[in-house]
Amino acid sequence: MSGFLSLLARNRLALAGAVVIVTVVLLALVTPLLPLANPDATNTAIRFQRPFQGEALLGTDHLGRDLLSRLLWGTRLSLAVGFTAAVAAATLGATIGIIAGYYGGRTDNIIMRGVDMLMAFPYILLALAIVAALGPGLMNALIAVAAVNIPFFARNIRGVTVGIAHKEFVDAARLSGLSNARIIVSEVLPNVIPVVVVAMSTTIGWMILETAGLSFLGLGSQPPQADLGSMLGEARSALITNPHTSLVPGLMILVIVMAINLLGDGVRDALDPRLKSGALSRPMPATRVHRETPPAPPAGEAVLALQGLQTQFHVKQRKYRAVGGVDLALHAGECLGIIGESGSGKSVAALSVMGLVASPPGVITGGAVYYKGRDLIGAPYETLRQLRGDRVAYIFQDPLATLHPLYTVGEQLIEAVRAHHSVSRIQARRHAIELLKSVRIPNAQDRIDSYPHEMSGGMRQRVGIAMALSNDPEVIIADEPTTALDVTVQAQILSLLDDLRRERGLAIIFITHDFGVVAQLCDRVAVMYAGRIVEEGPTPAILNTPQHPYTARLMACVPELGQGRRELAAIPGLPPAVDQLPTGCAFAERCDLVRPACTAGDIALTTSGPRKLRCILPPLPREARV
Amino acid sequence: MAGYILKRLLSAVPVLLGISVIVFVIMALIPGDPATAILGSYATPENVEKLNRDLGLDRSLVHRYFIWLGNMLQGDFGRSFSLNRAVLDEVLERFNATLVLAGTSFVLCSLLGVAAGVVSAARQYGAADKVITFAVLLGISIPSFFLGMMMILMFAVNLRWFPVSGMWPIYGARDLGALISHLTLPALSLAVVATGVIARLSRAAMLEVLRQDFIRTARAKGVHERAVIWRHALRAAMVGIIPVLGLQAGFVLSGAVYIEMVFQWPGVGRMLVDAILKRDILLVQGGVVLVASCYVLFNIAVDVAQSLLDPRIRT
Amino acid sequence: MRDALTFTDLSKTFAVAKGLLGRAKSQVHAVQPLSMSVEHGETLGIVGESGCGKSTLARMLVGLLPPSTGVIEIDGHPLDPSDRAAFGKKIQYVFQDPISSLNPRKTVRQIMEAPLIHLHGLNSAERAKRIREIFAAVNLREEFLDRYPHEFSGGQAQRIGIARALAADARILILDEPVSALDVSVQAQVLNLLSDLKQQLGLTYLFISHDLAVVEAVSDRVAVLYFGSVVEVGPAEQVFAAPRHPYTKLLANSAPVVGRPLAQPEMRETELPDPLNPPPGCAFCGRCPRRIARCDTERPPLLTQSDGVSIACHNPL
Repeated sequence: MSGFLSLLARNRLALAGAVVIVTVVLLALVTPLLPLANPDATNTAIRFQRPFQGEALLGTDHLGRDLLSRLLWGTRLSLAVGFTAAVAAATLGATIGIIAGYYGGRTDNIIMRGVDMLMAFPYILLALAIVAALGPGLMNALIAVAAVNIPFFARNIRGVTVGIAHKEFVDAARLSGLSNARIIVSEVLPNVIPVVVVAMSTTIGWMILETAGLSFLGLGSQPPQADLGSMLGEARSALITNPHTSLVPGLMILVIVMAINLLGDGVRDALDPRLKSGALSRPMPATRVHRETPPAPPAGEAVLALQGLQTQFHVKQRKYRAVGGVDLALHAGECLGIIGESGSGKSVAALSVMGLVASPPGVITGGAVYYKGRDLIGAPYETLRQLRGDRVAYIFQDPLATLHPLYTVGEQLIEAVRAHHSVSRIQARRHAIELLKSVRIPNAQDRIDSYPHEMSGGMRQRVGIAMALSNDPEVIIADEPTTALDVTVQAQILSLLDDLRRERGLAIIFITHDFGVVAQLCDRVAVMYAGRIVEEGPTPAILNTPQHPYTARLMACVPELGQGRRELAAIPGLPPAVDQLPTGCAFAERCDLVRPACTAGDIALTTSGPRKLRCILPPLPREARV
Repeated sequence: MAGYILKRLLSAVPVLLGISVIVFVIMALIPGDPATAILGSYATPENVEKLNRDLGLDRSLVHRYFIWLGNMLQGDFGRSFSLNRAVLDEVLERFNATLVLAGTSFVLCSLLGVAAGVVSAARQYGAADKVITFAVLLGISIPSFFLGMMMILMFAVNLRWFPVSGMWPIYGARDLGALISHLTLPALSLAVVATGVIARLSRAAMLEVLRQDFIRTARAKGVHERAVIWRHALRAAMVGIIPVLGLQAGFVLSGAVYIEMVFQWPGVGRMLVDAILKRDILLVQGGVVLVASCYVLFNIAVDVAQSLLDPRIRT
Repeated sequence: MRDALTFTDLSKTFAVAKGLLGRAKSQVHAVQPLSMSVEHGETLGIVGESGCGKSTLARMLVGLLPPSTGVIEIDGHPLDPSDRAAFGKKIQYVFQDPISSLNPRKTVRQIMEAPLIHLHGLNSAERAKRIREIFAAVNLREEFLDRYPHEFSGGQAQRIGIARALAADARILILDEPVSALDVSVQAQVLNLLSDLKQQLGLTYLFISHDLAVVEAVSDRVAVLYFGSVVEVGPAEQVFAAPRHPYTKLLANSAPVVGRPLAQPEMRETELPDPLNPPPGCAFCGRCPRRIARCDTERPPLLTQSDGVSIACHNPL
């Protein structure tokens, strides 16, 4: 709660809205105590007095009534009516929505049919029909406005409830012996209330507008009693001659509703957990770069060389060092594996190459990526764009999420070709069919017009590969391309990738967490931990004689098929959080060979022959390290 | 596709029946003797008795509903006592005027709202985003009837650019130019709120879509950022925006009631308010049922548009 | 001695593609009638690819999904599917996603207390004592009790999920992909914890996973599921080392193993059969290199062989 309030207070606009609305509410509350003229006392002798001229501060209306007094009493009434209507609609709507959403099935069906029926009316028709039946009057207008808003709340809350009712913790509560009623109260409700509050705070302004509207039409408050809407309605006939009588109530409505909307947005932002992490900002076309001088290009003929690459996530005051200085070289025709656990920075390092790390919050803070001697970090957007997909292509993890759901795979392939080559649509389509054939999709001529959702996971990933191949790139960066697939499909995709790279001489960076995949596909492998490479070398060497204790122990704790039932050698503890990295070796805390020098200072990646190692221990035989 | 449209049309039948039931039930709530309520307290006893017979008020509620429904299906919505005219004729004539006003506003607010939302999302936290966000906030906070009144003061009374009210000039030709000059102010006033709402939701939908993996794929392919925004992101965002447009059409239609009052537009909204104040219940009933039915059909069109856009819901 | 858990002809059918009038047009058999039993203290591994029905089976066994047909017996007593509390006391469930199985707005203590209150009706002193015992057993510090789920890592949250399942005092745990959401270094910690708990508390496990190596490492027996049916059941050491069913062999050959060269185990690019239009014979026959004429027309029954392995195949290896 205090966290919520402080979040709200930090939002300056919301705070301004809160100040205004609190002031207005306080004024409305103390109105009966203020020394105001009788709001209903008519005095035609002083009708249409201008503001600040006579006794009445804001002037008088067509019957000579004191506008200030009427304004405050009217505000009081409008606020009360709007707020009551909002609470009533939210409570009833949320109840209906929760019941429909939680029970589902026939209950849901019947309730939602009714709700749809009510929503089939443009809302004011329903309100007018209700007022027509009940007769004009403020109370009836309130009922009408509340009633027409119930379906909106019901539908909104139902959607949220359905989401929660299918969460695993609700199943867990069921297994803990809770009854349905109890689950609704103790599991569903606490998770729905923030949504109800948000929905209410963003619609309360709307409710005030609507009740004012009905009063404006003469269907709400009846004379002499006035709310803001009826004041405006009565002033309408004198609009041209005496605009102040319209301006006074109109501006008041505007101020109130605007303040409520500002506050409502603030409440929404403070209660919506997605916004807390800044996740709702959209990623820019290329990752932001904020670095000092780039390092010099490396010697050698690497196609792609990462030099001291550093990528961070800046979330509020925190800096997460996802990639903390990575050096890697990829040579032509080579398959380089990067292996690591989640949070090791392997994907972020790979996405940094073409500036595809979501930014905000990602920032490349140091190092360089040389493609054939050209630094890509900080390169102009157009340079990056021309290389993306043309020279360096990506294959991503989940092919359902990474293909556009509304375009056929053909359209997406054709677009990939035409982004870099000015060829006709027909030529591009022919090329796309060839591509689909090359990734062994049966009936390529027909499948090219399929949408991604019409394909299986394996077929979709083949399309992803075809897309990466569409411009004959030199480098393919494959970010866990088989992780989301079943094991039999994974085997098909891996052997396809292996064949393709040999046929076409592709250089591949293959990111995975699976030693088996690395062993079968990669020539070289780099092991990452807490944002840095801890060990690198030819795959057979690393897998047979791991020298970093982390590599050795990680391999030991993965069960391998064919070894039967056994106790696993688990690594105690957790990887360090990358916003609080320790000095020295990041693995020291979990390593049983740790010695004081490990945590004394930075440990360099040392080269010996084809291998690199970031560890100060002398090379030990494998058994001693595990 | 044709199958889908047919399915949606068939599914509208229960909704239309539901609408008629709801309207019928609400009207049955009118306290006291309905005939007196309908005809007002000045009604002669003969008239009351005749109306009671016409309405079948000596029968059961269900029976009365079916009589009413049957009459409606034959195009007989009854006669308005206050206008002494067939309800159907009056409503259709008035609805034409409303369609001109609300239709123009709807097109305006859809185009402006979506464009503003896209620009705002693509330049999140930039100057354009801030200006649009503020304008949108102002737009959704101002009562449309107040805005309309201020527009009259500003553009009709002070600047004399546009006429103060009405749909046609009292004297002079009823041509397109005259219509446009009469339409401009009310259509703009009516569009403002809906534009704000649409812009807001479009911005949110775009931001949501821009974070999706397939946007990263498009960028990784080397697609130009303009195409990423307008072809990839907007198309996916439209899946979320189109239902909002359908909903907003209802709001525009609703807001038209206020605007018709302010600008003396001879539409169905003003007719309904007058009918309620005169307790011309048959006119209210007929107007509500007809307008609501049109809105249902419009929403079917929205659903069909949605299914054209999204192959996943085409069945 | 009676088996800890027996289910007979357990099946689940979902109606899909509602027609115009809301009538079901077609049905999907997510789980074909299955019969199996698990001995006291045994770990039965269930392995299969997505869409094989393993999660549907798990949810039926804990009473979260009513079966279309079949009976579940625990210690020889049939369970009443409508009596949730009886279910919960005998059989519990550990979820795949540890974070989403914990209500974000409840403290760990509230989460732990729910089964103690609602299944066992313990008073507050008894509850505190019981929670202390369980937390000691799963190596969790008691200071965690007053924190909220989002403060925990995946591995810690999964320990809490296991602790909650233990709180119900059930003897049988259904572990549905309990380590799939965890990183490999944490996976081993949780797997070892599960194995310790089983020995200490004499538990019986049904361990469901798509990861062949993990299932092999923890199970006594392994059942291989394909398209809603069991195709092979046998001792863990044997199933993947010497597969008898062609599908099991395909699985075993597909798993990437260090030291085995990459080879495409299937010659064609093949797919699962359409669940709306299942083949009349063996579901695997479209992909099977050992297919014979009978496979197309006749569904092979699950038969126990002389070596104790059961297979559903007309032409086994």
